[in-house]
Amino acid sequence: MKLFVSEGNPHCLKVLAALEVTGVQCDVQYVNHEETVVPFLSRPALPAMFLPSGLYLFSANAICQYLFEVNGQESSELCSQWLEWEATDLQPALLLALHMAVLQGKGSQVSNVLQGPLNYLDQSLSKGNTPYLTGEAVSVADVVLWAALYPVLSDSSLALGERKSVKPWFDRVAAMHSCQSAVQKVLRGKGLQGMKSYMQRQPAPQSSQCRDTQPCNSN
Amino acid sequence: MALWELSSLEKYLGLKKPNKYSTQGDKKVPVLQNNNGPPLVGLVTLACHLVKEAKRLELLGDSAENRAVVQQWLEYRVTKLNNCTKDNIKTILKDLNLYLQDKVYLAENQFTLADILLYYGIQPIIVDLAIQEQEQYVNVTRWFDHIQHYPGIRRHLSPVVVLRNRIYSSRHH
Repeated sequence: MKLFVSEGNPHCLKVLAALEVTGVQCDVQYVNHEETVVPFLSRPALPAMFLPSGLYLFSANAICQYLFEVNGQESSELCSQWLEWEATDLQPALLLALHMAVLQGKGSQVSNVLQGPLNYLDQSLSKGNTPYLTGEAVSVADVVLWAALYPVLSDSSLALGERKSVKPWFDRVAAMHSCQSAVQKVLRGKGLQGMKSYMQRQPAPQSSQCRDTQPCNSN
Repeated sequence: MALWELSSLEKYLGLKKPNKYSTQGDKKVPVLQNNNGPPLVGLVTLACHLVKEAKRLELLGDSAENRAVVQQWLEYRVTKLNNCTKDNIKTILKDLNLYLQDKVYLAENQFTLADILLYYGIQPIIVDLAIQEQEQYVNVTRWFDHIQHYPGIRRHLSPVVVLRNRIYSSRHH
């Protein structure tokens, strides 16, 4: 089992945090953003995990779920639901937000882009009324969502506004030593600027494209 | 996202009582009201829920590794295949073709939920492929043909005629 990561890649924050939280033993190799690790993918995909069976995982969320399961914590239905929301709803907004903040110097507009998902998260947390997303203990959903949001929520210059339930949840996860250690490994104390070379290699965010492109699979 | 996929899956799984789904948001994300708690949301979440309800856990993968592989392809389905652009289709077909080169199913030798949902998601793309393209993505079409003939999967989808013999062969002429 081997994990491939690159510095400054926010998805690598997820898997390194999950690795530290679970304490699963695994080789970690740092590679360049452009390195082709997964042989069948046209675009470089990191993080990636090479499994003992010879198969590759190229989804950060699937890698995190795997690490938690190896550690005896199988994802609950609610956990999987958060991971699906993260991938389908939060990520497109985050990609656009990071593109604006890191590459275009439009940090002041990030708040508009993230308002919807952050409000949804806030409402769910206050309705659930538990310290973590899926209950009393940290789950893979907390680690994945915390890591995804870390670059934007830890940067006060983006002025995202404090949400009454997101803030204590975020701080609670961030307080774990494992998470701090993962942040240091990926962002090297450089915050959003630490992601610049990664963001420069990403295709322009989808949401700006989809307005003029007809979806092929809309049924 | 389409509710028919969930109904087709229910029928395949032999679930007697069909669920009533609603949708939320512009993207029409499927929602299932749940008597015992908050509603379940999302195609992958609901599909996995149905599989568990039918006690067909093997469809989610028979080992921790395979379960991760299945989840990965389910995520691929809802992030890459839904609302993909024309340019992305080529990349998706090319990558899948390479991946399936030495595999029967997405999780290697095991038929799983990932095959079912990827089949439902890719069907509209395969229908539109010209014969030359079918040959270009021969591993994808082989996998697709296998899944569409898997008992109980295809439902109302029209079968796509997949050529088993090459006509545009570059090697033998």
